[in-house]
Amino acid sequence: MGAKEILRLTGLVKRFGDLTALNQVSLVIERGKLVTFLGPSGCGKTTLLRIISGFSFPDEGEVVLDGEDITQTPPNVRDTAMVFQNYALFPHLTVAQNIAFGLKIMKKPKKKIEDEVERLLNLVQMEGLGERRPHALSGGQQQRVALARALSLEPKILLLDEPLSNLDANLRILMRGEIRKLHRRLGITIIFVTHDQEEAMSLSDELIVMDRGVVRQVASPVEIYETPADEFVARFIGQINFLPGYVTAVMPEGMILTTEIGELFLAPPDFPAAPGARLAAVVRPESVGIARRGAKPPEEGMNVIPGRVEAAMYLGFLMRYTVRCKDMSIQVDEPDPRYNGIFDEGSEVDLYLRRRVHLLSR
Amino acid sequence: MGETFPEVRQKRRTGQGDRIAELGRFFRNPGLFTITLLAFLLIFLFIVYPIGRVLLKSFTVSYPAVIVTFHHPRPAPEGFKERLAGIVDRAAYGVKGIEARRLSAEERETVLTVRFRKDWDDLKGLNDLRRALGKEKDSLLPLAVEIKYRLGQETEASFLTYREFFSQSRYYRALKNSILLACITTLIVVPISFCFAFSGLKGPPYIRGFLKIFGLLPLVAPPFIFSLALIILGGRQGIITRLLDLPLNIYGWQGVIIAQTVTFLPLGYLMIENVLRSLGSNLEDAALDMRASDLQVLLKVTIPLSAPGILKAALLVFILSIADFGNPMLIGGDVPFLATGAYLLWVSENNLEMAAVFCVFLIIPSMIIFVVNEFFLKGKAYTTVSGKPQESERRPVAGKVLYPMLGFSLAVSALIVLCFGIIFLGAVTKILMVDNTFTLEHFRSPNGFRTLITSVKFSLGAALIAPLIGITVAYLLVRKKIPLKRVLESMSLLGFAVPGTVMGIGYILAFNTPPLLLTGTFAILIVNEAFRNISVSLEAGVSKLHQIDPAIEEAAADMGAGSFKTYTRVVLPLISSAFVAGFIYTFMVGMIAVSAVIFLITPGNDLASLYILSVAEQGYLGMACAISVMLIAVVLGSLGGLKIMMRWTKTEIL
Repeated sequence: MGAKEILRLTGLVKRFGDLTALNQVSLVIERGKLVTFLGPSGCGKTTLLRIISGFSFPDEGEVVLDGEDITQTPPNVRDTAMVFQNYALFPHLTVAQNIAFGLKIMKKPKKKIEDEVERLLNLVQMEGLGERRPHALSGGQQQRVALARALSLEPKILLLDEPLSNLDANLRILMRGEIRKLHRRLGITIIFVTHDQEEAMSLSDELIVMDRGVVRQVASPVEIYETPADEFVARFIGQINFLPGYVTAVMPEGMILTTEIGELFLAPPDFPAAPGARLAAVVRPESVGIARRGAKPPEEGMNVIPGRVEAAMYLGFLMRYTVRCKDMSIQVDEPDPRYNGIFDEGSEVDLYLRRRVHLLSR
Repeated sequence: MGETFPEVRQKRRTGQGDRIAELGRFFRNPGLFTITLLAFLLIFLFIVYPIGRVLLKSFTVSYPAVIVTFHHPRPAPEGFKERLAGIVDRAAYGVKGIEARRLSAEERETVLTVRFRKDWDDLKGLNDLRRALGKEKDSLLPLAVEIKYRLGQETEASFLTYREFFSQSRYYRALKNSILLACITTLIVVPISFCFAFSGLKGPPYIRGFLKIFGLLPLVAPPFIFSLALIILGGRQGIITRLLDLPLNIYGWQGVIIAQTVTFLPLGYLMIENVLRSLGSNLEDAALDMRASDLQVLLKVTIPLSAPGILKAALLVFILSIADFGNPMLIGGDVPFLATGAYLLWVSENNLEMAAVFCVFLIIPSMIIFVVNEFFLKGKAYTTVSGKPQESERRPVAGKVLYPMLGFSLAVSALIVLCFGIIFLGAVTKILMVDNTFTLEHFRSPNGFRTLITSVKFSLGAALIAPLIGITVAYLLVRKKIPLKRVLESMSLLGFAVPGTVMGIGYILAFNTPPLLLTGTFAILIVNEAFRNISVSLEAGVSKLHQIDPAIEEAAADMGAGSFKTYTRVVLPLISSAFVAGFIYTFMVGMIAVSAVIFLITPGNDLASLYILSVAEQGYLGMACAISVMLIAVVLGSLGGLKIMMRWTKTEIL
């Protein structure tokens, strides 16, 4: 166990009747990181969080927090603190009493509790609202109180269960920034659970993408987006063109991948790929160039794929085209329609594809 | 989604002009007008009027009076009245017990009303007066041809009965005892109910089903069978008394308290379980996460958060305890209580005025609690609004918190089972624990069978009327724009809120004179039971109607169905499940009814529950047990039969 490691999960299995909610999940989380469990609903991320917090116990495997096996430890004696999805503030207590709840349980001296509550209220920018009742607060304020209450325990890990899902869009973005700032300031380890990929991307040091009880990829947001480990991850995060094909020729400077939109000349992958290998090119819509038929490609050696615009959607900050290339539709996002012009539906166009694309073996 | 309707209705606040237009539309709609008027009239007549008569009675005093009529051949001569007054004064001087007299002169007759003291024997007064006036025959004869005497009553508004109530301990002690009893019973029932609900929800899953059966078992039995069982166990000739040779006496406070505790457990349990369930586990989880132990979670989160709901349950148990009739009657011994006191005043002294005062003190707590509940507790419950209920697994609660509660609950369950067992054994043995020979002779009771059949007829009648009226009123309240909505609603709820004793005495006062001479008939029993229970059907109807989209009715009206037709063809079938719920409830309650009907039965139409009561009071405990067993069997049998019928016809209940 390294000094950087704070939480180690080994071979966790959790079943609910016939359903396997978690299937052999193993993870290591480093001290001071903000890590996000990301996945569609039912992927097991909440179950995993409940096991870490002690509200649920795994059928197999173990949970080690800071070198201590806590697999069977009940929540009230673990060094974790949770911010619940609906905040779970105690409606019969004031904001200050909510924050002081854990401190009182821990029998801290009265003076210390008062100071600590004051400090936490300042930390979450709720000065002067200590005497309010939770129902007299806005959603964002309740969120801050819930955070302050969880932080009062000085937990080794702070767990956030979809904490922003009950807020409206603008507030969500604001709180996202605040959680990020708080994390920077306190240097505390945070596990964040969400199904919102944008939220996950913008917040996290590390993303853990889950699907049907299995961890699909653990990586930084950039890596998850640029080099997804498999088709699920690729499709779950952002928009994607998934181009399956066969390697038909391998040359020193590259290889030819035969796909449904034609032969693509691509840089070879970092794993061995002999002719006949089944690969898939994973191309983000914004990485595909678009120009009128027969125009000169902006860069030397780009793949040029002829096509016809099937649908053109103006989204303001970009143009979203669906272009029919042979038997397949390719999605293209043109970020600067003012400069490049807008192609109407039915226009004959050329698509440009760089040689260096992310490849997955199938 | 049903919850949103009332809100939407309120937001569509109409202006003054619109309201007048609405009223106009109401009066121009003959069907709606007739039904509404009928509902108002019936509910006023059979709920509000009797209660009003009780209130009036408590503020009046009646005196025995003798009315003497002097007929004269010609119009009374000048100064006749003064002379007569003189003669009467002289005559009455020697008659004892006279309090006041009054002369009223008309053309051909003069009436003398003589009021005697309240406790005076009116017949003696009449004879004394006749004798005294006879002595004055000579002076009277020229003036009056004929003199007639008759007995009468003088009634006047007065606080006298109240003054008497507070000055005599045998009266005010009943009030003190009833309140004390209600406090003690509530303080016992609520914690037990909490233990039942808590250990049911937090303990191992199978425990919940177990506790639910025992917690609800007392519902199917007449409210006093626990008294009966306790008497068999701990009465002067009781099993425990004899076995352990203890000078035990279950009659009195201890008996009533134990019996009421078991009787009101189901209600407390149902209400508190509902509160705990709607609280959800989210906040408890949060507290646990805040390092609180299970005991701290219970004391600092669960109990404070469920306090409004628990208080509600406590208030209801309090009212029911005060209103309870059967248990104090059977096992109360010499301790006076309000509900039974009112009955005894009526049967043994025919003192309806004091009985009415007792009733007023029975009404006051219910009314206070009704108001507290409506205005202070409404909407004060904390419930977790988290969309879907968290489908998390049951987290085991620490044994030191759970086991004492579970143990306590199981002990009370054992007591309930013991009571039922005693009743059953008592029914099939000669004399339980004295002569344990198996016998069915207690079941051979012609009166028992007859009263059972009467009870079934009675309950069926009430169970058909109550939902019909309750749901019609619900329909008027929820869907129609009618005037005085709140008044109609409050009037309907009154029948439920007011103790049965009050409704019984109210019916005696209201319906014993023509043109409403209904006392002594079988119909009055049914009407009384039905109107006391319409509020349950009403509530069921309201909640069902909120679930039915008004668009369905509008569609029917659109196709040319009138208001009445819409109701019978479209709405009635849709709310048939509310009807069934109301029917079942009223039927069950009817089978075990005691408190109001005891005032209204006549020898021909005795009910089984009352027959058990009287048989038990006379000491035929075996027979009481046997009829109780049959009664419980009928209730369970009808419930089961109904359930099978429901499954057959695929109708959903509740």
